[in-house]
Amino acid sequence: MPPAGGFEAIKYKRNLPFRGPSGVVILGGVTAVCAYGFYRLGLGNLERRELQREKTWSRIHLVPLLLAEADRDAYRRQQAALEREKEIMKDVPGWEAGKSVYNNPRYRPESSIMLL
Amino acid sequence: MSAFKDPSQSSNPYREPTPLPESVPKVEELGTTSAPLKSAAFFIGAYCKEYNEDFMLCKSENRDPGHCLKEGRRVTRCAQDLITKMRENCLAEFDKHWNCLEMNNQAYNKCRKVERPLNKCMFEKLGLLKTIPGSPEGQKPIHEVTNPIFTGVQK
Repeated sequence: MPPAGGFEAIKYKRNLPFRGPSGVVILGGVTAVCAYGFYRLGLGNLERRELQREKTWSRIHLVPLLLAEADRDAYRRQQAALEREKEIMKDVPGWEAGKSVYNNPRYRPESSIMLL
Repeated sequence: MSAFKDPSQSSNPYREPTPLPESVPKVEELGTTSAPLKSAAFFIGAYCKEYNEDFMLCKSENRDPGHCLKEGRRVTRCAQDLITKMRENCLAEFDKHWNCLEMNNQAYNKCRKVERPLNKCMFEKLGLLKTIPGSPEGQKPIHEVTNPIFTGVQK
């Protein structure tokens, strides 16, 4: 005879607990994170370009100022060197102080300097 | 006699005590260090545009340092004028900004917080606007972006 209340139900179902999100969800998540990352990277690249532009222009604006100052110094040294050359070569007839060795009026910076 | 010595390996600096010839009018050098100059760069560019362009056109004519002394003096006087005005009108903002640049490797993007009051002050008092030539049309220029990606570690 069966027990009171009948037999237990037969356990035939597989015991498969939930093991986290499925492959599609993980793949989708990774894709979404990567996409957002690349988007930010693109924005960052554009921004870096603008920062570079800002830096470059800040330097361009300062070029005339610094060049003017450097020019005055270079001119002072040039004139001093010329005077020195005149003083040293005053006994040599036919010597032109400060004359370029090139037959061309284009300006060339001194290729050598005298260290005092 | 003299022998060749590489200047880069010299133990004493390249000094020349002779002053400028008397024929050249004197102008006081600016004497501003790099951080204040960088802080003021865009205002120098805006305020001294004509003088700067004149000087650079002159330089493109001839690279000889003696060729553009007059234009160069004008450039220096103009920059001096600007720095004086800036110090008179926006001293606190200016000091804050250049000190920030000094402490942050002279990177503009790390000093936006103190740059904005300076830009505002300069525009209100002297009418000088910071513009970056060549910035894309229809976008906020980089110094006015409120939420940039590249900032300092601490905002």
